[in-house]
Amino acid sequence: MLEYIIKRILIFIPTLFIISLLTFWLSTNAPGDPVEQMLGGIMGAEGRATDFMATEEAYMEQRRKLGLDLPLFYFALQPLSIPDTLYKIPKRKHQEVLRRLIAQLGNWDYIQSYYLALKQTQIRLYNLPVAGPFRKYRNKAYEVINELFMTYDTLKIGFYTTLLTFTADSLLAEFNRVSNDTAIIKNPQEAKRSIMEFKESVQTLKKAYLDMIQNPEVWKNYIPTIHWYGTKNQYHRWITGFLVGDFGISYVDQRPVAEVIKDAVKWTALMNFLAIIIIYLIAIQAGVYSAVKAGTVQDQILTVTLYILYSLPNFWIATLLIIFFGGGAYLDWFPAFGVSSLPETAPWWQKVIDVAHHLILPVIALAYPSLAFLAKQMRGAMIQVLKEDYIRTAYAKGLPDNVVIWKHAFRNSLLPIITIFANVFPFMISGSFVIEYIFSIPGMGKVSYEAIIARNYPVVYTVVMLVSILTLVGYLVADILYAVVDPRISYGKKK
Amino acid sequence: MQKENEVMSANSQIVEEKPRTYWYYVKRQFKKNRLAVWALRAVYFLIFIAIFADFIANEKPIVMKYKGEIYFPIIREYMYDWLGVALPENLRNITSWRDLDYDWAIFPLIPYSPQNIDLYNVLVGPFDEQYVPSWRWRHWLGTDDLGRDVAAGLIHATRIALSVGIVSMGIAAIIGILLGSLAGYFGDNTIKASRASLFFGLIMLVLGYFYAIEVRKYILIDSLSKSILDFIIQLFISAGIFVGFLFLAWLLARPFKKVKWLGERVFVPMDMIVSRLIEVVVTVPTLFLIVAIVAIAEPSLFLVMAVIGLTGWTGIARFIRAELLRIRNLQYIEAARSLGFPHRRILLRHAIPNALTPVLISIAFGIASAILTESTLSFLGLGVPPDTVTWGSLLSLSRKFPESWWLAIFPGSAIFITVTLFNLIGEGLIYALDPRFKR
Repeated sequence: MLEYIIKRILIFIPTLFIISLLTFWLSTNAPGDPVEQMLGGIMGAEGRATDFMATEEAYMEQRRKLGLDLPLFYFALQPLSIPDTLYKIPKRKHQEVLRRLIAQLGNWDYIQSYYLALKQTQIRLYNLPVAGPFRKYRNKAYEVINELFMTYDTLKIGFYTTLLTFTADSLLAEFNRVSNDTAIIKNPQEAKRSIMEFKESVQTLKKAYLDMIQNPEVWKNYIPTIHWYGTKNQYHRWITGFLVGDFGISYVDQRPVAEVIKDAVKWTALMNFLAIIIIYLIAIQAGVYSAVKAGTVQDQILTVTLYILYSLPNFWIATLLIIFFGGGAYLDWFPAFGVSSLPETAPWWQKVIDVAHHLILPVIALAYPSLAFLAKQMRGAMIQVLKEDYIRTAYAKGLPDNVVIWKHAFRNSLLPIITIFANVFPFMISGSFVIEYIFSIPGMGKVSYEAIIARNYPVVYTVVMLVSILTLVGYLVADILYAVVDPRISYGKKK
Repeated sequence: MQKENEVMSANSQIVEEKPRTYWYYVKRQFKKNRLAVWALRAVYFLIFIAIFADFIANEKPIVMKYKGEIYFPIIREYMYDWLGVALPENLRNITSWRDLDYDWAIFPLIPYSPQNIDLYNVLVGPFDEQYVPSWRWRHWLGTDDLGRDVAAGLIHATRIALSVGIVSMGIAAIIGILLGSLAGYFGDNTIKASRASLFFGLIMLVLGYFYAIEVRKYILIDSLSKSILDFIIQLFISAGIFVGFLFLAWLLARPFKKVKWLGERVFVPMDMIVSRLIEVVVTVPTLFLIVAIVAIAEPSLFLVMAVIGLTGWTGIARFIRAELLRIRNLQYIEAARSLGFPHRRILLRHAIPNALTPVLISIAFGIASAILTESTLSFLGLGVPPDTVTWGSLLSLSRKFPESWWLAIFPGSAIFITVTLFNLIGEGLIYALDPRFKR
């Protein structure tokens, strides 16, 4: 038995490894830049170069803190044209655009000098004078440069670089027109120098662009290379942290993920615990009753009711419960949202009653589908057992009904109940996902739903991994219980 | 003479008595379950509604006489959409079909399209007073917060629900049958491959992935935003490249098979590989994964179908694996083997067809749960594009407007009924296929 358990746990490892890869891969393909999300918006057109450098610096700092400046994985299988240091490019959108450009042209050297020229132009843009007559052109140049950072369509790039050249020319012309008006320009030398510098870098950009499209090396896209990055990578960082219980930092509120989950898990655990108790208490009774009375009117009514319950979508029932009992337009028996409406200072027994009052509807919504399913299975198993010879024998020797049913039949029909426990577990977790969303209960389901919507990946990873581990453990426990309940099942070595 | 006739008729009787197939018995058993048969009929009816949704709920008339000519506007619309046939002059740029000056017109049962906005009747219930010209224009099931007819939305959403159920289970069935039969039929100790082919196979697997997926990544992504057909074509090209590389591996390995160590044949543990894969998919919290994928990508119905299909195949695979593990030791398979038939033929002609019926059970329940998953997703506001009306999206409106009970009752009932119908069919199939219930 012990050998079997150890073997099963060893098999867990590759399964969990694949799941961790899957979630990680998903998150790397998600759009959006977590660092930008944490720091807020991008700089407007009006800022100065020093401000711009400061935001860039803050971005890099945050990125380093989150470990996003590392390569994704231990190795990368890439075309020859993609440099093995592309991951160092700070912004995710920029990386994506560069990858697209490489896919079209293949000549990284030229693409790199184009990108550097573009960055140079961007910095020099912020040095340009902001005074009245220049503002229009400056804003225009700002828009065009932002557009250039986003586009990988070579025709569009050509158009935008030409547009930038014109803008630079107009800036110079504008400068010449107002250069003697000291009311507008305080420091003509300075302004002239910045405009000339801008013009110069626009010209470099234009040249870099032309070089880039005239010297394509598409063949490089078709030669595979494998680059080894070693253990300094994002996946390694995450998974080793996970194994020692460090789940990372939530992108949204910058709290440790472990803390976020700890706060949430108690509500989900409480709800599921209550639901499971209700399920087993009612379902076993109902199933056994219906099996004993098989074929009678009571049995048929019960079977049909359970069948309907099982097919009722739980989010519909939850919505109906809120609308009709949760203080909507109809009955106001229960609070519709949240888990508590009392202040912190309330005495504990009032709090308990308040929480119970809040949880009645969600627990009903969570419990009834599993309840119906379990009762149905219980009935089926019980009917099978009641047909056995030894039950007839038990009746024949004059045992009271209760003893026959609960001592002889029920024990032997336990097997399906155990399997179902393994199935009910993941089912209830996905159930609480929707139920918690509907009733606004701050549990795992709601936290993970919000994390997905906000692309808060550290939380998403952790929840998926934890749920997967729990599911695997559930299966294992079910298998072990099998052997405990039914001595005929043995996981030892067969002769 | 008469005797001869008798013999003849006796003969013809023998000939007429067809050999009764397994399917015959399955059908006969299934038909005994009245509830399941009625559920099947109801599903046919739902399919009918889905196909002819445009003729049941539409703002345009089915037939009309207008300015002295007879038109079939809905059919013209189809011709315009699919064949590019231009609309007649008189039917262009019509803003309100209801108020046209018809000679006569026959409107569909529900004279509203799901997108029609009726500003005079916003959030009105079925029994409320409605500002409509006559009973013919009543909103029988009420309207939503934009004044869109709920009945029209429900009818058109039938199409979405059923197509999600059927397409996603189609995908799941293909994957499940393929992997399940490979695992069940070959087990861990049937397929043998030389070390050389395994080695080259592995290398070519990596190269195949590189050329089929990595190099063509952006072509694939861009085609998805163009059209689904385009995407499928590109996917097939990628698959072709992949298969080509595997073929190359086979070619390359041939000369090496003569070398002693490399040519030695080792078992490929098919069953182990597939079982691990099933375990992985079963372990991942499915709804969670689907929500994550759908939230990341652009909303699209096809994506929802694909994701539900890709996560929903394990039940089918398990069924068919168990079935084939049993079948492969039966005598007729042994007979086929000893006749020297190749594995491919035995699998496709003899083994899989006999294992398919139990898969039907899994598919029936699968469709029910796929429809449920899709409505859960649109209830959460994920998956389908926001302007598409689905049962789930209608139901989610009731959260915003709790007084409007009709927004909760009708869409929820639609989901409930459809899911129940498929569950009933599944149940019926279980009884039909289980010899213990034979009466």
